[in-house]
Amino acid sequence: MSRRVRRKVARKGKVVSPIYAETEDEILGLKQYDYVDWTGLPDDTVLQLFSCLNYRDRASLSSTCRTWRVLGISPCLWNSLDLRAHKCDASMASSLAPRCVNLQKLRFRGAESADAVIHLQARNLREISGDYCRKITDATLSVIVARHEALESLQLGPDFCERISSDAIKAIAFCCPKLKKLRLSGIRDVHGDAITALAKNCPNLTDIGFIDCLNVDEMALGNVVSVRFLSVSGTSNMKWGVVSDLWHKLPNLAGLDVSRTDIGPNAVSRLLSSSQSLKVLCALNCPVLEEHTSFHINKNKGKLLLVLFNDIFKGIGLLFVDTTNKGRNVFLDWRNLKNKDKNLDEIMIWVEWILSHTLLRIAESNQQGLDEFWLKQGAALLLSLMQSSQEDVQERAATGLATFVVIDDENANIDRGRAEAVMREGGIRLLLDLAKSWREGLQSEAAKAIANLSVNTNVAKSVAEEGGINILAGLARSMNRLVAEEAAGGLWNLSVGEEHKGAIAEAGGVKALVDLIFKWSTGGDGVLERAAGALANLAADDKCSTEVAVAGGVHALVMLARNCKFEGVQEQAARALANLAAHGDSNSNNAAIGQEAGALEALVQLTRSAHEGVRQEAAGALWNLSFDDRNREVIAAAGGVEALVALAQSCSNASPGLQERAAGALWGLSVSEANSIAIGREGGVAPLIALARSEAEDVHETAAGALWNLAFNPGNALRIVEEGGVPALVHLCSSSVSKMARFMAALALAYMFDGRMDEFALLGTSSESSSKSVNLDGARRMALKHIEAFVLTFSDPQAFAAAAASSAPAALSQVTEGARIQEAGHLRCSGAEIGRFVAMLRNSSAILKACAAFALLQFSYFNCSLPSLVAVMPCTMQASCRMQEQHEFFVLRLQQQLPHLKPKYLPELYFATLNTTTWNHHSKGFFSCHNLSAANFIPSYGRFHS
Amino acid sequence: MSSSSSPMQSTGRKLKLKSKDDETFEVEEAVAVKSQIFKYMVEDGVSNGPIPLPNVNGKTLARVLQWCQKHADPTITEDELNKYDAGFIDVDQAVLYDLLMAANYLNIEELLKLACMRVADMIKGKSPDEIRRTFNIKNDFTPEEEEEVRKENAWALGP
Repeated sequence: MSRRVRRKVARKGKVVSPIYAETEDEILGLKQYDYVDWTGLPDDTVLQLFSCLNYRDRASLSSTCRTWRVLGISPCLWNSLDLRAHKCDASMASSLAPRCVNLQKLRFRGAESADAVIHLQARNLREISGDYCRKITDATLSVIVARHEALESLQLGPDFCERISSDAIKAIAFCCPKLKKLRLSGIRDVHGDAITALAKNCPNLTDIGFIDCLNVDEMALGNVVSVRFLSVSGTSNMKWGVVSDLWHKLPNLAGLDVSRTDIGPNAVSRLLSSSQSLKVLCALNCPVLEEHTSFHINKNKGKLLLVLFNDIFKGIGLLFVDTTNKGRNVFLDWRNLKNKDKNLDEIMIWVEWILSHTLLRIAESNQQGLDEFWLKQGAALLLSLMQSSQEDVQERAATGLATFVVIDDENANIDRGRAEAVMREGGIRLLLDLAKSWREGLQSEAAKAIANLSVNTNVAKSVAEEGGINILAGLARSMNRLVAEEAAGGLWNLSVGEEHKGAIAEAGGVKALVDLIFKWSTGGDGVLERAAGALANLAADDKCSTEVAVAGGVHALVMLARNCKFEGVQEQAARALANLAAHGDSNSNNAAIGQEAGALEALVQLTRSAHEGVRQEAAGALWNLSFDDRNREVIAAAGGVEALVALAQSCSNASPGLQERAAGALWGLSVSEANSIAIGREGGVAPLIALARSEAEDVHETAAGALWNLAFNPGNALRIVEEGGVPALVHLCSSSVSKMARFMAALALAYMFDGRMDEFALLGTSSESSSKSVNLDGARRMALKHIEAFVLTFSDPQAFAAAAASSAPAALSQVTEGARIQEAGHLRCSGAEIGRFVAMLRNSSAILKACAAFALLQFSYFNCSLPSLVAVMPCTMQASCRMQEQHEFFVLRLQQQLPHLKPKYLPELYFATLNTTTWNHHSKGFFSCHNLSAANFIPSYGRFHS
Repeated sequence: MSSSSSPMQSTGRKLKLKSKDDETFEVEEAVAVKSQIFKYMVEDGVSNGPIPLPNVNGKTLARVLQWCQKHADPTITEDELNKYDAGFIDVDQAVLYDLLMAANYLNIEELLKLACMRVADMIKGKSPDEIRRTFNIKNDFTPEEEEEVRKENAWALGP
């Protein structure tokens, strides 16, 4: 129906068109719409459609109706099969068998799948390629080759096949007479008799790779006359003397790869000069050779030596008769060549393969000193290879890009120059195109590369601009775990800054990430860690955090924190919960987390983890969650006080991040007096004092906050004095770079010496405290001196005198601005606390009076809520009786604020001034209630992964 | 739609086409050869009379020729072309179906690929039931067949 409406609008502009015909046509069109019979599509079109889909979607499409079921098993869709992403056991393989009659190519992953290969009964298989085959045995491999006599290509690697011996190689030789290509990685010993068997039984064997092996019989290899392409890259214990004596006699040898070996200039020279057939000798990353960079190459006409210190593009260009206009496009030009030369094609295909393999190996080894190579040509080579027509080359090139930019695995550092080189060469577009392919192997490797590169903010920007966020959000929905994992990693890294959070949410990324957690809640640690990490970053954004909750993220993350045993996941889940809870009053996530069964208990447990990151994030989460009154009590009931005191005691050598959050969580809990007393009793005072001595601003600031809360209680105040807290607080008060820390330290000291502690000390003087023989008077003098100095730093006597004389609002606000601590706006203050300051206004010490007035100014300035104003009123009354200059000024400012109050509160205020006991009635809690209202965000960070 | 669908700037020869609903179109050879069948006709030398296309209606043919025109334009960049394609193929199911049929019949490889990709995008990630609903496909399996199909595809649909 919408169609008709649209056409009507369109017709308005037309005046003389043949309306009649159009209308009829439209009716026809509509009718047709009703009858669009998709099963009526031509078979070849449906087959093309199938070929655009991955196996999962193909299976779904085949499951819809008879017509498409039949088309879905068409032999042309079953030429090649990539089982790497699928769990392949005998029964699954058997179910595939009827479709594998004409299967030509097979890729599988893991030794278990290798065992299942024979059950596919694909007797016509030509090519088998397996990775992650460390555990594959001689027995398995022998059975595979015995059942596939038509085999032409067998590749196992790049993981080392340590359990494969020469016996299996002999089996290959005897069973597969048509073998053309054999590449095996990581075999301990390749004996002469095995190689001889290959030479004897496999006359077509033209491509051999014994890669990363320990010992290979060079002499026997010298007798494989059929070989055209030979790679021993990464193989140790090579006898280069034997090689240079014998291999140049191999009559057909066109390509030889000795990369990553200890070959020297002599052997290279001899091979190049003596071999009649050799076209390409690849010796990338051969240290002995590279010591002789003066070593002259390419003087052997028609032979190409590929080494890291030479221009590889240019060298390859020399292989072509037409050498014009090659340069960096040499691979592309070759692929687009109209008139192909078969020999050259074979060489190029082989070169692509060995280059991608060696470059990936070099990237993985993260060697020093290769910067120049990567920037000058390595990055461009990988990008060229990524456009290969060989899928495994494309994949390895993408993995290479993901790997070579990473220079420090531990700290998620990537090399900026390398990342930007990839971007400059157009790599982002190429990678995104690859990620759009239906092939899941390509999708995951491309997504991994995008993820790692996006650690660089410029690359991240480019990824976003090229539409990468939508692509990654799409891939995150993939049913393939590896694809989803890398896509989630990409979203994790892109969500680090503020720039892309909104775009990720808009692309449906939040929902996709939450769904990932439910989908892989068991058995997908990598996916879960990345999804939780991305959600943690996103949750730092106000709007996204609401979306995370709407998508069910609170439940998902709590589930991870409770059930997941993998530390990386625990860490990110805790960080995500911390950030979700960090939005104070702007959404209800904080309370919502507490309402999830077992959430807070799980987080308390996680503070005891053996993993520092987990402890840190769990403490951070508890810090933020304790902002909610109910949560605070549940945390305490779950043993949070004991756990966090223990954490604070054990973190003297930990990272500032952990120290900050341990102190912060205690700060949050100490908001209630019961917790505060418990913290003191459990031994929390001493570690907090130690943390207050930290050089790190974030650490001593939170420790000062906690001590401020604790000091409200006279018992704790005495403990602080006894544990040597006065010098620590005095130091903070006078020298911290953080105004907040100075302020809170001053207030803690004021609580400690406003007289209540002395009463307590007198009353409760026990043998214990007297034995400590604390010099209270000395401490008090020191404290007051520094409180005074602190308050004075906020007043400018001249401006002040002028303001007091004129009482002009402008002059007054100028002075108050100067006295204001911006950050103190984050602090909440309850009536009880205000009451304490008001009481302090009656203190005999002028310093404490000034300090109290100063504190009241800070809190009243921001908190115009009723309870605090109720408290403020009597303080102004009190204050007006005393004419101390500074004190007076602060009070003036307070009075100024009163007119803003709504008239209906005035009677109440008036009443309150008469009876100060009503303060408590108005305040919510009994005890002081200060906290960071916009609790700390755990900083966003990303991770890359290799 | 009339024959104005291809503004003539070049001097190349033209092909006359007639849709199944008897609309006639004139199109430059350089544009028409995007279609493999027209290409053969051009190579074999065509008669002057309009080529009848009994399987393509005028509206669809107009669309297809517009696409060919765009893709035959040497001045257009790849980026612009991608953008154009994205907009071009963003159509409702009936039009998409007609385009698929026409691209298949006229053998226009790139257009067929574009349309297939579009349909594939509508399939990706959906369960068999969701695909049936999307394309209005009737489930014609017997319960026994359904069980067979389930077994047949379990390998790919598992986690």
